[in-house]
Amino acid sequence: MATRPGSPAPPRSPAPGPAVPRPRRPFRDNPLQVLLGIFALVAALAGVMALLNRSSQLAPDFLSEFVLYALSVVDLTMLVGLVFVLARSVIKMLVERKRALPFARFRAKLVIVLLAMTLIPAVLVLLVGSQLIFNSVDRWFNAPMDEMLDSAQRIASDYYHDRQRQVSDETARLARTLAAADLAAPDLPALRDAVAGPVTDQRLTLVEVYRLAPGADGLPQPVTVVDVASAAAGAVKTRDTSERLAARVASGQPDAWMREPLASGGELIRAAAVVRRADGSATGVVVGSVQLTGEMAARARRMTKAYESYTQLRVFKPALTGVYLSFFLMVTLMILVSATWMGLYLAKRITRPVQLLAAAAREIGAGHFEHRLERETVDEFGSLVDAFNAMADELAASRLALERSSVDLQRKHAEVEDRRRFTEAVLDRVATGVITIDAGGRIGTLNPAAAKLLGLDAAAVGRPAEEVFGAGELRPLAELAAVPYVAGKDWPAQEIMLNRDGREVQLALAATPLHGDGRQLEGRVLVVDDITPLIRAQKVAAWREVARRLAHEIKNPLTPIQLCAQRLQRQFSGSPAPVRALVDECTGTIVGEVEALKTLVDEFSQFARMPSPRRVPTDVHQLLIGTLGLYEGLFAHVRIATLFAVSLPPVRLDPDQIRRVVINLVDNAIEALNQQGQIVVETQHDAVAGAVRIVIADDGPGIAPEERDKLFMPYYSTKKRGSGLGLAIVRRIVAEHGGSVDVGPHEPRGTRFTIELPCGEGETPAGTEAT
Amino acid sequence: MTSRLCVIVLCAFLADAGGDRGVEVGAVARDGRVYVSSAAADGLMSDLEDAIQAGLATTITYEADLRAEVSIWFDRTIASATVSASVQYDTLTRRYQLNRSVDGRLADSRVSEDKADVKRFALGFDRLPLFSTDELEPNAEYYVRVRVRTRPRVTFFFWPWGRDAASGVARFTFIP
Repeated sequence: MATRPGSPAPPRSPAPGPAVPRPRRPFRDNPLQVLLGIFALVAALAGVMALLNRSSQLAPDFLSEFVLYALSVVDLTMLVGLVFVLARSVIKMLVERKRALPFARFRAKLVIVLLAMTLIPAVLVLLVGSQLIFNSVDRWFNAPMDEMLDSAQRIASDYYHDRQRQVSDETARLARTLAAADLAAPDLPALRDAVAGPVTDQRLTLVEVYRLAPGADGLPQPVTVVDVASAAAGAVKTRDTSERLAARVASGQPDAWMREPLASGGELIRAAAVVRRADGSATGVVVGSVQLTGEMAARARRMTKAYESYTQLRVFKPALTGVYLSFFLMVTLMILVSATWMGLYLAKRITRPVQLLAAAAREIGAGHFEHRLERETVDEFGSLVDAFNAMADELAASRLALERSSVDLQRKHAEVEDRRRFTEAVLDRVATGVITIDAGGRIGTLNPAAAKLLGLDAAAVGRPAEEVFGAGELRPLAELAAVPYVAGKDWPAQEIMLNRDGREVQLALAATPLHGDGRQLEGRVLVVDDITPLIRAQKVAAWREVARRLAHEIKNPLTPIQLCAQRLQRQFSGSPAPVRALVDECTGTIVGEVEALKTLVDEFSQFARMPSPRRVPTDVHQLLIGTLGLYEGLFAHVRIATLFAVSLPPVRLDPDQIRRVVINLVDNAIEALNQQGQIVVETQHDAVAGAVRIVIADDGPGIAPEERDKLFMPYYSTKKRGSGLGLAIVRRIVAEHGGSVDVGPHEPRGTRFTIELPCGEGETPAGTEAT
Repeated sequence: MTSRLCVIVLCAFLADAGGDRGVEVGAVARDGRVYVSSAAADGLMSDLEDAIQAGLATTITYEADLRAEVSIWFDRTIASATVSASVQYDTLTRRYQLNRSVDGRLADSRVSEDKADVKRFALGFDRLPLFSTDELEPNAEYYVRVRVRTRPRVTFFFWPWGRDAASGVARFTFIP
C-alpha cells in the first residue's frame, strides 16, 4: 500500500495530464524481490548444508585454509549486517518515538517481541550447539582409537622395515661375496651361481649386478653385468629404477634402498650395496629386490593412510572445530538476520498501512481531497484502503459540490451586491427621497435626497420612525409609517408643505409595503418627492393661459375704446372751455389707461408667447459689459461694479433674452436701492458642475425670506406699479436656457440674484479679477 | 560452557599475539651477491611436529626482502626472494622427503630418516645468494627482513587471520 498524492480516485476517470513517474518501491514492498531474497537465502542454506555434508570428504588442510576463511568472512559480514540492521532499527524507533509518530510505540514493541522471540532461542541453540560440537570433536579422538591406529601403523611400518633390512642384509652379503670377482671380465655362469642363492631360497625376488665404468662426467656409471630373478619376478623387472639406485649408491649417497610401486599393485623394496675389493675400491653394485604382494602392500598403505588421516584430524582439530562452529554460527546468523529482517518486515507490514492511513487522513483533513492510497494487498488492509478511498471520493465530491455552491453563492452575492450598489447609486442620485422602514418601525435606509428634503441626517438610520418623524411638520410621515397594512389595499398618497430656510417646499408622500417570500409584511418604503417645481410649473402654465386669454379678451376692445375716446375729444374740441376741459380730461384719462392696458396686455402677451431662445455661443463678459453700458450716466448715485472671472467659456445662449434678464434684475436693483447704492455684477465658472454663474447683488434693504419664493410668481410684485411679470419672465428665460435663478440675502445687506447657465465642458477658470 | 568458550577464544588471541617469534638472520654482501642465512627458533618446529608426523606436507616459507630505510616514509624494498622448505614424512617407511626451492626453483632435494637433519633443513638455510648487489649503493645501510610462514596453519577458529609465524632482520653496510 502506498500513497498516491495527487492521483485521482479509482472509480473516476483520471484527468489527462503529464505522467508522474512512480517512486521506486522499496525492497520489502516488491514481492518478486522478496521471493528472490528468500530463494537466495534458501539456496545459501542449501549450499551450506551441502558443504557441511561434504566436509568429511574434504581435506582438513582445505577446510582450515579455505573453508574456515570463507566462513569467517561470511560470519563477520552477517554479524556486521545484523548489528547494522539492529542499530538502524533501534535508532529509527527511538527517533520515531521522540517525534511521537503514530504507532511508533506499537511498532517498537512489536519489533522487540519478534526479535526477542528469535534472538533468545537462536542464542540458546548456538550455545548448546557449540557445546555439542566441542563434545563431538572431543569424542573423535580417544585413547582406544589412538592406540589401535598407532599399533596398526607400527605393525605395517615394522613389517616394511623388516623386509627392507632383510633385503639390505642379503644385498650387502652378496656384495661382500662378489668382492673378489672380476666384474669387468666376469665369468657369467659362475657369477650367476654366486648370486642365485638368495633368489633360489626366496630371500630375494631379484638380484642385479652392475660393474662400474667411468662415465662422461667422471662419475662411475653402473653397467649391467648379470641379473637373476625368481620365476615370479619376470613381470616386475624394472631396470631403470634399479640403475638409478645403483648410480646413487655408487656416487656415495647414503640412501641404499627404495620402494617401487608396481603396476600390478605390489611393491618392490630395493636395496643396493657397493662391491668393493680388498683395497676398498668400488668395482660394482649389487641391487637386491624383494617383492611385496599387492594385497599386502595395499593393506599396509591403508593402515598407514588411516593412521595419517586420524593424526591429521588431530592436528586440525582446532581448525575443524572452528569450521563446524563457523558453520553453525553462520546458520544461526542467517536465521537471526532472516528473522530480524522478517520481524522488521512484519512490523512494517502491520504498522505501515495504518501509518499511511493516518497520514492520508491527515492529508484529507488538511484539505487535500485528491489524496489516495494505493491498494497493494487483498487482505483486510486492502479493504480498509478501499473504504478509505471511497470515503475520500465522497468527501471530494461533497467538497466539489460545496465549492460549486460557494462559487454560485459568491456569484449571486456579487450580483446582489452589484444590484445593491446600483440601487444605492440610484438612490443616492435620484431627487426622490426614499426611506425604508422595517417591520419593527425602525428606519432602515435613508437616501441623501430624503435627508435633504426632510432635513435629516444619517443618524436617523436605525432609530424608530415614530421618534424621527413624530413631532412637527414631519408628523404625516410618522402617520404614514404607522398605517396598518391591509392586504390588497394601497396606502393613499399625501402631500405636505414644509418650510425650508424660509422657502415653502411641497412634498408628495407615498408608501409601499415590503413583502417577504411568504407575503408577510417585512416593512415599508416611503417615497418623498419634491413637487414644488411641478406645482410652480403648473401655476406658470395656468398663468400663461390666463395671460393669453386676458391678452386676447382685453386687447381687442382697447383700440375701439381708444378711438372712441379720441373721437369724443375731437367732437368736443369746439365745445365751451369747461366742457372741453372735462372732455379732454376724461378722454385723456381713457386714452392713458388704455395705453397702460395695452402695455399690460403686451407684457401678458409676451409672457404667454415667450419665443424659444436662439442660442449661439456667446461671450458672457461682452454681453454684460454691453448691457451694463446702457446705464452709464443715468443714475448718479448708483455705482455698478463688476467682478468678472478671468476667463469664461463661451456659453450657448440667446443674447437678447439674457440681456433682458440682466436689465430686469439691474432695474429691480436700482429700484430697490431707490437710486442710491451699489450694484455688483459678478461672474463665476464652476467647471465641476459645468455651469457659468451671473450674480447681481445690491446693498439695498433686501427681501424678506418668506417673500423670496413668491418673487418669481407671475403677478406678484412689491412695487406699486409693477405688473408682477418681470421676475417670472426672468425665471422662464433662464429655465428655457436649461439654467436656474435663485435669490438670497447679500452680505452684509441687500439682495443677491444668482443665474446659473450650463456651459460647455473643458474650460477652466484661471481666477477672478475685480473692476 | 560459556566460560569454556571464552577461555578458548582468549587463548586463541593470546596464541596469535605470541606468534611473532624471532628468526636469526644473517646477511653478507660478497662477490656481487647478498648471501642470506636464516635460522628459526626451535619452537616453530615443535608447532609443526604434529603436522609433520601426521604425514602432512608441511612447508616453511621464508620471505626475504632486501630493504633500505627511508626516513619518515615506508622503507624501500629493493628485492624480494622466497625460500621454501617442504617436509613430507612417510609414516610407513619412516623417512622424510625434504625439498628446498628458491623463488620456485628446486634447489635441494633429499630423503632423510634423521629428525635432527630434518629440523636443520626446515628451520633455516645457510648463505643462500638471494640478491644481487647491482642495485645497492656503496657504503649504504641496508637490511634483510625475513618473514616466516608455515603451512598448514594450525590456527584457531573465529579468527583465522594470523600474523607471521616468525620474522627477523639483519642489517649490513654494503662495501663493494
